[in-house]
Amino acid sequence: MTLLSTKSSIDAIRSAQRKGGHLLYVVPAVFLLTLLSAFPLFQLARMSFSDVGIKNITGVWTNVGFANFKAIASDPDFKQILINTLVFVGIVTFLGLILGFVAATAFNDAKKSSDFLLAFMVFIWALPPIVNGSVWKFLLGGDGLINVLLQKVSLISEPIPFLYDPKMALYSVAMVNCWAVIPFNALILKAAFKSVSKDVLEASEIDGVTPLQQIRYVYFPSSRPTLLVLAILTLVYGFRSFDFIYVMTYGGPGLATNTLPFLGYIKAFVLFDFSKGAAIALLSAIFTSGLALLYSRSVRKEEQND
Amino acid sequence: MTNAVKKGRKKSRGIVRRSAKTIFAFFYGMPIVWIILTSFKQETDVFSTQSSLFFSPTLSTYRKLLTSSLFESFTNSIIIATCATVITLLVSIPAGYALARFSNKTLGIGLTALIIFQMIPQTATIIPLFQIFNKLGMLDTLPSVILADAALLTPFAILLMRPFFRSIPVALVEASQIDGASSWQSFSKISLPLARNGIATTATLIWIISWGEFLYAVNLILSPNSYPMSAILAQQVGGFGIFWPGLMALSVLASLPVAILFIFTYRLLREGLTLGAVK
Repeated sequence: MTLLSTKSSIDAIRSAQRKGGHLLYVVPAVFLLTLLSAFPLFQLARMSFSDVGIKNITGVWTNVGFANFKAIASDPDFKQILINTLVFVGIVTFLGLILGFVAATAFNDAKKSSDFLLAFMVFIWALPPIVNGSVWKFLLGGDGLINVLLQKVSLISEPIPFLYDPKMALYSVAMVNCWAVIPFNALILKAAFKSVSKDVLEASEIDGVTPLQQIRYVYFPSSRPTLLVLAILTLVYGFRSFDFIYVMTYGGPGLATNTLPFLGYIKAFVLFDFSKGAAIALLSAIFTSGLALLYSRSVRKEEQND
Repeated sequence: MTNAVKKGRKKSRGIVRRSAKTIFAFFYGMPIVWIILTSFKQETDVFSTQSSLFFSPTLSTYRKLLTSSLFESFTNSIIIATCATVITLLVSIPAGYALARFSNKTLGIGLTALIIFQMIPQTATIIPLFQIFNKLGMLDTLPSVILADAALLTPFAILLMRPFFRSIPVALVEASQIDGASSWQSFSKISLPLARNGIATTATLIWIISWGEFLYAVNLILSPNSYPMSAILAQQVGGFGIFWPGLMALSVLASLPVAILFIFTYRLLREGLTLGAVK
């Protein structure tokens, strides 16, 4: 084969591929996702504009327009739920990132102990959330280890109602969520630190920067793209999170630990008001879709830089 | 800068680093130690010896737990996790391969759609899924949970595997096709073996996630007799007057498969997550 014909056959292959030579490969995924992701979303939207309870969930739905949304918005508790969501997601994202960065920095030496500790933390991240939630419910209980230890060292005389006090419960569950996401963030950030060039590090050491300055002026800027992506991922993780709420407080006491997505679940599966549950779920889905667009833009930017 | 200053800094950095590591070790080690300890305690000992490492250990909780019904739910968990993993992989491997090679507008739309599906809260998707499986008469069956898990994890799997396929040089695939390989042959003989690390990483993570998934399970399966392990845990921890040694022993049993899998795949996961998560 001559060079020319090789080139033209490459061109032929390339253009065939661009024209959709690979289209067949995506058919199974498109089929599955249309049936079990896109269609359910459509049903969710339809449900949120109808009146659906446990009796007519498989029957006929009557259209009620925006009635469900209006009812939700005029519910006096709704504002509280939005504030809960904001506080919860804020704590998980902010502390999850900062402490993930701290952990990645602490583990950023060539020691075996660091590798082992990080591996152990990632193992805990991989455990079923229900296991992690159960043990923290145990540890934070009135007779739990944390309260017993604090009483032993006489820091407190009465046990702290970590999960029973309406104000404290939200912070407690948010902190446990944070705890659960730190290992992942630390793992990713530690890998990002590896891309900092040895020359830059050596130069900064010769210039006599302090360790804190090195973090501030070398590690932080070089891991900024990673931090941005992690920030969106952690935000979404915090917003979607239901397992720890489910296990530790089930949204209580009262509505104290209900976030927006969790409230949708409670409305549908505890109060059997599927249409209001669907309306709240739809609002949650719209919110995450916005974040998804943001995320997809920043990832595509990264890819173009390759 | 004098060497003394440098040495001093190095030393203080070591102290800060060591104390940070100790704090992390405490907060991640302690819960695991307490799960294991409590699972070997008598119920009466749980709170009286709460902060103590010393108590008379007993296997009675495990003995009480290890019944045929627990074995059944353990089997259900294995079935759900394994079937969900197989279905997800069958669907996502070719899709991840194709999306790694596309380069046009459709790609952008496809990727964005995947990310949107991936990010929608599970608490939102369970509402229509319950209705749909109800209408299909599939409630209270394992396939409903398996399909729901597969739909939940397919976008994640495609996005995680795509970078592995992208890292395969295009020239390699093209060369095989010039040599007369069909599109399918160059996919199955060239690309698939080269992306095996990505596939293994993805398979492990999907298996682990569907093993622990409980929201779909507790809502799509109506009779607790057919619950998987995760759903049994969810049911127990939600009740009043929790029997802590029992819950902790269940937690240990539910974590064992993850632990075994993790030991063999950590290196793979570490590489795979850092490549797939951020790209």
